[in-house]
Amino acid sequence: MLEVKDVNNYYADLHVLRDVSLEINKGEIVALFGPNGHGKSTLLKTICGLHPAAKGSIVFEQEEITRTPAHKIVEKGIAYIPEERHLFGDMSVYENLILGAYNTRAHKDNQENLAFIYEIFPRLAERKTQRCYTLSGGESRMVAVARGLMSEPSLLLVDEPSIGLSPSMRSVVFKSLEKINREKGITILIVEQEIGDALKLSSRIYMIKKGQIIFERSAAEVNVREIEKAYF
Amino acid sequence: MIENLKKNYSLILAGLAVLFLVLYPQLGARSYMLHLFILFFTWAVVAAYWNLLIGYVGIYSLGNIAFLAIGGYTSGILSKIYGLSPFITIIIGGFVASMLVTVFLGLPALRLRGIYIALLTLIFADMLPSLLTQTRDITGGGMGLHGIPGFVPGMMKVHAYYFCLAFFVIAMIVIYRVINSNTGLAFVALRDSEDFASTLGVSRYRERLKVFAISSFMTGIAGGFYVHSLGDISPTTLSIEPFLLGLAMIELGGVGTFFGPIIGAAAIVFGNEFLRLAGNLRLTLLGALICVIILFYPGGLMQFISQAGNFISRITIKRS
Amino acid sequence: MESFANALVSGLISGSLYAAMALGLTIIYGISRVFNFGHGVIALMGAYIAWLVNQNAVSAGLPLLLGMFVTVVVMFCFGIFIYRFAIGPLMKKPNWDISTVLFMLGLGIMLENIVLQLFGPRIKSIPVFLSGNLRLWVIQINWHEIIVIIIVILAILFLNLFFKKTRTGQAMQAVAQSVPGAKVVGIDIEKIFGLTFGLAFAVTGFSGILLSTKFFMNPHIGWSWMVTGFVIVCFGGLGSTSGTIYAALILGVVEALTTLYLGASWVWPIWFIIFLIILLVRPQGLLGGRN
Repeated sequence: MLEVKDVNNYYADLHVLRDVSLEINKGEIVALFGPNGHGKSTLLKTICGLHPAAKGSIVFEQEEITRTPAHKIVEKGIAYIPEERHLFGDMSVYENLILGAYNTRAHKDNQENLAFIYEIFPRLAERKTQRCYTLSGGESRMVAVARGLMSEPSLLLVDEPSIGLSPSMRSVVFKSLEKINREKGITILIVEQEIGDALKLSSRIYMIKKGQIIFERSAAEVNVREIEKAYF
Repeated sequence: MIENLKKNYSLILAGLAVLFLVLYPQLGARSYMLHLFILFFTWAVVAAYWNLLIGYVGIYSLGNIAFLAIGGYTSGILSKIYGLSPFITIIIGGFVASMLVTVFLGLPALRLRGIYIALLTLIFADMLPSLLTQTRDITGGGMGLHGIPGFVPGMMKVHAYYFCLAFFVIAMIVIYRVINSNTGLAFVALRDSEDFASTLGVSRYRERLKVFAISSFMTGIAGGFYVHSLGDISPTTLSIEPFLLGLAMIELGGVGTFFGPIIGAAAIVFGNEFLRLAGNLRLTLLGALICVIILFYPGGLMQFISQAGNFISRITIKRS
Repeated sequence: MESFANALVSGLISGSLYAAMALGLTIIYGISRVFNFGHGVIALMGAYIAWLVNQNAVSAGLPLLLGMFVTVVVMFCFGIFIYRFAIGPLMKKPNWDISTVLFMLGLGIMLENIVLQLFGPRIKSIPVFLSGNLRLWVIQINWHEIIVIIIVILAILFLNLFFKKTRTGQAMQAVAQSVPGAKVVGIDIEKIFGLTFGLAFAVTGFSGILLSTKFFMNPHIGWSWMVTGFVIVCFGGLGSTSGTIYAALILGVVEALTTLYLGASWVWPIWFIIFLIILLVRPQGLLGGRN
């Protein structure tokens, strides 16, 4: 479904992605691990168009999207859930969610999608009219994921969803991701620091270090300790 | 390697230029040319210290012409009405300008986002003519201040020329020291890489106040040299045209470079003749010039010269 | 007492005019963080365009309305043009916060001078909408001023509806609150910025027409409108439209009272002092945001 081939990217003079290649198949959940600052988030940002690749190619559903602008990539069905969330603080939860479907394709189904979201995240239904700057860390994380879902993506790019969350919040988030994948068939590429939970969720994993993919395994083949060792 | 060569070339060129400027009046220059050079010396200082704020430290002051005016008026009034020696009043003028500006503009606005100092200095500069009108008994109001004494009794243009040249050279040396001081280097680091420099723990507020004070002080002194060389000053100094000219000098020369403002000032002061040909469209041309430079050639003349210099250096190295 | 009351009313009226003008500044800053240093000239251009159309319109019936319409359309296109060819490219380079300021300054002065060359330095005016006075107790107000206030209120309501109810308006609000967030939900940032400039220029140009009915037009008045606009926007809180409106009304009254009791030449020093106090006491303004 998604094919990333020999992608290179830079932050000013810093070569942050070096010939990165990976593949995601439809319906999978794939995890991307690696030390901080080694390119995990950058890769996601490159795929979704926020930080276009300097070299290489990205093909999604047989379509070349390497140079496609970010807002068009959303239309094509890729939703990026940033680690920083980037919610519209002065707007309510409801308004943020509605804006998630800004591109025309999905907003016809707004009410249906909202119903599904309120089912997975009941907290959000309660907080519907609250301004987002009043939400807690976990709640705003949920809004970020939910907002991404509103565009009816076929591929979800999730950047460190559990960061800064309490263990109970974390399990809520991961359970919801699993449900999204199971019930809606949405493919997920997740970047995580919390190896354990992400490993349980995914079917395959990649490891990135110093901007390069150093290995790929099926999730059944590895355990947490092996991955942690690979960090060093 | 190229950097050292460039530095040596620049120093040699600068030295030669100063030598030429010292000898110039002896070569039989006309009074009008001396006048232009005096304008050039004072404006170059104004432009350089304005550029120090905008281009090096990131203080978006739009009021530097007002600092010049404050220094000039203070020095003019004190020497004309109270008969003090210009050498003293010029320094006082610089202090007054620096005090007023740092206290009323720097203290409130430099803690805040860049836009605020731009707004505050702009409004300040716009309000000064009204104040001048209110105090017309001392300042001459809209008519301006005339008959300001020269540096020495019976001063001739050529004496003013040398005084201003000396000031110009000293002012440039001071800027050079500031840019290469710990403060200056820290600011250049900040300018080039926001994240990195904040780890150096640069206390931005205090350091910015310091540079702001220095800049307004020297600009105020430039104002003093201006009035004692030319003999008068009026609120037209605070009008749009000098303001635009100053901006054009910085932009044309190259923001954030050492020689940029000097080159820009030279271009504008000596090229003003062409501007005068444009007659009524002067301001249109100036505005258009600024827009075009910002859009297409933001590095100004220094960028052009630097590229040419690189080219030359590369050739000369290849030869040897 | 009578002169105080009249000054108060007069101040509220000019305040509402200032509000209409300052809104354009707030809209641009709120959404794109660009501070429009050519703001005054834009208002002025609006007035002159309407005046020009007015002079040349043959039909007696609705010449001023035609002028207003033409102004709004022309200024809207001009705004988009300026964004696409100047501000947009500058914003993608480093130091855009100062380069856009200097650019708009240069542009503003250039345009002001062109207006001066085209129209001459003498005062022009746009005819009042309706003549005749009204007297309420001690207050003297003319019909024209009442119409102007109604127009301003309608304009503000219209803008409010636009931002709250239309998709584009909501997208603009989204961009104002989080540019990365807007990108992530599929909003075309470039298009929104362009439309923002178009909208802001149109509003500003329109307000210039209204202002010119109360204050006479000459090519230099744009600058003083602009400085007033700056103080208002900072006082109200950068990026807050309601803050701008309140600030404009308050400052309009302050200006009127200052002129009454101290004289017109004290107005600018008062602006400066007010601005200074704002910066010292509450830099984010009355309703300024949290960022």
